[in-house]
Amino acid sequence: MLSSKRLRATALTLGALLIATGCGSGGGSGGSKSELKLYNDKGAWKPFFEQMGALGKQQTGLGMKPVGYTDEPTYTAFIKSSFRTNVKPDLFTWTTGGRLEEIVKQNQVADTSAIWTDAIASGDLSESLKKYYTVGGKQYCVPLNTAYWGMFYNKKVFAKYGLKPPTTWAELEKVATTLKSKGQVPFNQTTPTSLFSFAWFEQLLAGTDPDLYERLSTGQASYTDPAVVKVMERWKSMIDAGWFSDPGDKADPADHFKSGDAAMVISGTWFNTSMTQRGLKQGTDYGFFFIPNVEPSLPKTSLVFESGPLCSLRKAPDPEASTKYLKWWITPAAQEKWANARGDVSGNPKVKVADPELDKVTKQAAGPGNRLVLRYFEAAPAPVLTEALSGFDGFLNKPDTYMKVLQKIQKANEEYWKTHKAGS
Amino acid sequence: MSKGFALYGRFRHVYVSPALVFVAVLLYLPFLWTAYLSFTTYDGLASPVFTGLDNYRRLFEDDALLTSVRNTLLWVVGTVVLPVGLGLLVAVLSYDLRRGSWFRLPFLLPYAMSGAGLGVIWGFILQPDGMANQILTFLGMPGGDTAFLQDGPRNTFAMIVVWTWQQLGVNMLLFVVGLQSIPKAPIEAARIDGASGWRLFRHVIWPLMRPITTVVFGLALVAGLKNFDIVWVMTQGGPGRSSETLAVTMYRDVFVADEYGYGSAVAVLLTTVTGLASYVYLRRQAGREEAR
Repeated sequence: MLSSKRLRATALTLGALLIATGCGSGGGSGGSKSELKLYNDKGAWKPFFEQMGALGKQQTGLGMKPVGYTDEPTYTAFIKSSFRTNVKPDLFTWTTGGRLEEIVKQNQVADTSAIWTDAIASGDLSESLKKYYTVGGKQYCVPLNTAYWGMFYNKKVFAKYGLKPPTTWAELEKVATTLKSKGQVPFNQTTPTSLFSFAWFEQLLAGTDPDLYERLSTGQASYTDPAVVKVMERWKSMIDAGWFSDPGDKADPADHFKSGDAAMVISGTWFNTSMTQRGLKQGTDYGFFFIPNVEPSLPKTSLVFESGPLCSLRKAPDPEASTKYLKWWITPAAQEKWANARGDVSGNPKVKVADPELDKVTKQAAGPGNRLVLRYFEAAPAPVLTEALSGFDGFLNKPDTYMKVLQKIQKANEEYWKTHKAGS
Repeated sequence: MSKGFALYGRFRHVYVSPALVFVAVLLYLPFLWTAYLSFTTYDGLASPVFTGLDNYRRLFEDDALLTSVRNTLLWVVGTVVLPVGLGLLVAVLSYDLRRGSWFRLPFLLPYAMSGAGLGVIWGFILQPDGMANQILTFLGMPGGDTAFLQDGPRNTFAMIVVWTWQQLGVNMLLFVVGLQSIPKAPIEAARIDGASGWRLFRHVIWPLMRPITTVVFGLALVAGLKNFDIVWVMTQGGPGRSSETLAVTMYRDVFVADEYGYGSAVAVLLTTVTGLASYVYLRRQAGREEAR
């Protein structure tokens, strides 16, 4: 009996100790940190984050360890729940647009206005990027990455049929018609289509009426607007002409480039990473061009761009260390490593991108003839985006349903803007 | 009654309480919170705003939910008929065979795979130029260009077949255990009376298997109602929400669309349907047991 009592007492003591240590370890430890944890939804970028961790440690004495998630909804739910608990990330990645605004309004995100002011003055960040990081007149977070959307094309396929990157929409149509007539599917779907089904919608709409595109994202226009319907009809006619690969194909388009099946795919410049990981070389195996406007009378070429923020919380475990890291992140030394490791462009205009083709893209994008439009993924509010992604994915398989798809997105659009201020 | 047992009797509630607290904190409280959220609009950040029955009203006007309910019903029927039915067939045909376990082994192996792994592999097999279509084309059979996962409800049927491939084995195993636990005497008696084949199975073996069939059918019913992982990995409920089940709709609305209130209403609907179906089924089975 005694031994049984002793056993129970030991078990209870152990349990109490476990609970006590468990509760204690979860909270922010406070004080000055020498290593920060960077939570991100880019699990595949772990090696690049680790390289940055090592460089940061070397240059600032502040290390960084990535905690990568691969499932976006799980990641978002984790970050949101961290706002209400003591387990707060030192640094975390997020998205610009409505989602950034949402967490800023909760008074959770650290103000980075001072960092932006200094960086713009020193030329480390551009003024044009600032508005995507501004909520209520203040800046929040810094750019983790920047990417431009355009067309990746297979140089060997183009050379085989004597084609050149188009500079007008009519030329692009001619390229597609030629490829189709030779038995080559002109455009590969950007996969997974459940995530990127918006790519052609945003491209066609922004290239036709960029103002309408922006008004649509801020609840000031309807998805059943005749001009939007016309864009869907154009997209449908391109599908009907057999210009797109099967939307059910689950393979990465880079695999199709590797095997020589793909002629073109619309994507962000980060797609370079997928290509180079498969041993393909820009300039030799593939090239990149900005997609010309559908509407030739537009004064500027609509250029879809995305910029993912790197943020810290107002109540981060060590706010000083997090701010110090954000300041370092945008310096040319850090950005050069970050951009070149991934083979992508940088948010810092001073950075020299090692890949000459990519460097050309960066310079071209900064040209005065372009108008930057925020990627649909960031521009549309979450419930509208979710409906649109499903709708466009369905449309790719059943193009006749385009009107029904637009009506459904519009319903979600109306539902969302009923409780939010349109135009913000 | 021994002293130890009397002591146990006096403190039995105390012994049970840690488990009860564990379940209450991790199951009942979140459920009550979800039920409350279903009457609100909530984006996971700002405080929930009470909106009464709005979410439930929206549920019945949402045609995507109707598709979701239809697919869930297909899953329920599919999981009860196919993996359970075929599992029973294989079990009955193999249980008294010599080296029957070797015959059953191949059916059991797919069960070792995780739902996510299964979804990824079959997703590739069933894609437009995947192995399934290539085999059909190679054999010169029609349907070599079938869009297995791109058209509803065909995509749901295709996924039920995949589910059957994995689950058949474990159902078969449970039925074999059931068959092996049947007392031999009534079967021998029936055989002496001239019963054999289908009649022996229908009137003697099947009724004796009731305890195990109750469990297997009950599990299949619940698995069909709450099916999520295989659909999420293979199609994410698409394209165009054509293969969503109630569990996928709930996940999508809460975690992808950030509509915690509406998603919670779907969760409450799913829980109510699952609870009711399980209750009705188990009551019926218990009633039959008592009638015997």
